[in-house]
Amino acid sequence: MVENVRLYLERVAEYLPRMLESLGETGIMLFFAMLAAILLGIPVGTLLYLTSSGRPMEHRLLNRILNAFVNIIRSFPFLLLVVAMQPFIREVYGRATGDPVAASFPMVVIAIALYARFVEQSLNDIPREIIETAQSMGATTWQLVWKFLYVEARSSLIVGFTTAAISFVSYSTIMGVVGGGGIGDFAIRYGYQRYETDIMYTAIVLIILLVELFQWLGLKLAKRLDKR
Amino acid sequence: MIEFNSVSKTFQEITNTFPALSDISFAIQKGEAFGVVGESGAGKSTLLRLINALEKPTSGSVDVEGITLSTLENKQLRPLKKRISMVFQQFNLLNNKTVAENVRLPLEIHSHSVHLTVDEALNFVGLEDKKDQYPSQLSGGQKQRVGIARALVTRPDILLCDEPTSALDQSTAEEIVQVLKEAHKAFNMTIVVVTHDLPVVKALCQRVAVLEKGELKTILDVNPSTEPAENKPYHERAIEVLSNG
Ligand SMILES: Nc1ncnc2c1ncn2[C@@H]1O[C@H](COP(=O)(O)OP(=O)(O)O)[C@@H](O)[C@H]1O
Ligand SMILES: [Mg+2]
Repeated sequence: MVENVRLYLERVAEYLPRMLESLGETGIMLFFAMLAAILLGIPVGTLLYLTSSGRPMEHRLLNRILNAFVNIIRSFPFLLLVVAMQPFIREVYGRATGDPVAASFPMVVIAIALYARFVEQSLNDIPREIIETAQSMGATTWQLVWKFLYVEARSSLIVGFTTAAISFVSYSTIMGVVGGGGIGDFAIRYGYQRYETDIMYTAIVLIILLVELFQWLGLKLAKRLDKR
Repeated sequence: MIEFNSVSKTFQEITNTFPALSDISFAIQKGEAFGVVGESGAGKSTLLRLINALEKPTSGSVDVEGITLSTLENKQLRPLKKRISMVFQQFNLLNNKTVAENVRLPLEIHSHSVHLTVDEALNFVGLEDKKDQYPSQLSGGQKQRVGIARALVTRPDILLCDEPTSALDQSTAEEIVQVLKEAHKAFNMTIVVVTHDLPVVKALCQRVAVLEKGELKTILDVNPSTEPAENKPYHERAIEVLSNG
């Protein structure tokens, strides 16, 4: 037993540098996905909300276009999205395979669409009275968004972000198909292709821990900011 | 002065058997405390919301200080809304902002050359010790005081109150009426109070319009109550209400 544990630890130590490298690649993909979710997912989700019928910036055409974008991306099987984006990535980035930055492009696209929907839902949950209060004060749409909507929706925005980020982890695990690397790719290569089952399970446990960490951090922050 | 000229308002819904407001004409004088009473669904809120252009009339016009609201774009309405405050039945406070942040909010929406400080407004409603609390930590009456402080902080020319006491028990309601009454005295503004609760307008208003099914039935001058009910303890009022008549 002790001997087995010692053997296992030795193997982990042997694979550790490669595992850490894979975690780093996952980190790069998650970083770009989260950044896109925040910088573009939030505005898209806010526009989805504001332009829908009965809302302060009602605009049927824009709302249709944004909805179509979000729906198409989200209903696209992710692996197909990855493949379909290859020519585009090669065009703008120079290469489409073999590094985690190239692999981040489809992650960014799915991140925007996924989080935009969460943002829209969070804003939909804000009581009508709050919007009416802003309008009675003569608030501009910009003020409504920043001083009312985001304030009241902040913890549900964070819960949604946590859920989205956990999906990003899952999406990132298949980026190995285009040589994007990452801890998921590591698990597949060592476990599935080389039958190093112990190393595969170690990688899977790392992925689970990463998800648990996101969940824990997200809920903690959401709870701290929720004063309802 | 607030003027309604043959104002009608119809909502595009199949279920409505009568217009929310039909052919309403009357005027509210500057500095007046004016009440609007009527049963639920009579059109009171709609009438109030026409004054700060949250609703637009289907026909007729609403003029505030000589300006016909329906001729203005949203952007042009902002300077007007800056001088009109509103107090709501459900208080409409932001739950994620502290009391002080809630009261400060209108000052962040427009810049005001003359206004109360947040502390002055909170002092006026007697909540200076609650400024760092969140609304969820307050009672209903305290929440409405915050709502009133938020309305007063801009020193409005017009204060609109939609059922300001209807979510409160009777003695708290009477306290809120007193706060509004003092505000009217102290700040020299026009107050329009909409409610189904007759004692509220009796205590607070000089004139009262009676609405029924969207029609203006009459406008009454109010005889001020001789005995302020709010001084009596709850059990005495209970005896009075339950045993008499
Ligand atoms: N936004 C709206 N859409 C459709 N009908 C409305 C709307 N607002 C009010 N109404 C209708 O107009 C009538 C008057 O409503 P309201 O002004 O809220 O009355 P009150 O405040 O006296 O209870 C009611 O029949 C109500 O259903
Ligand atoms: Mg009403």
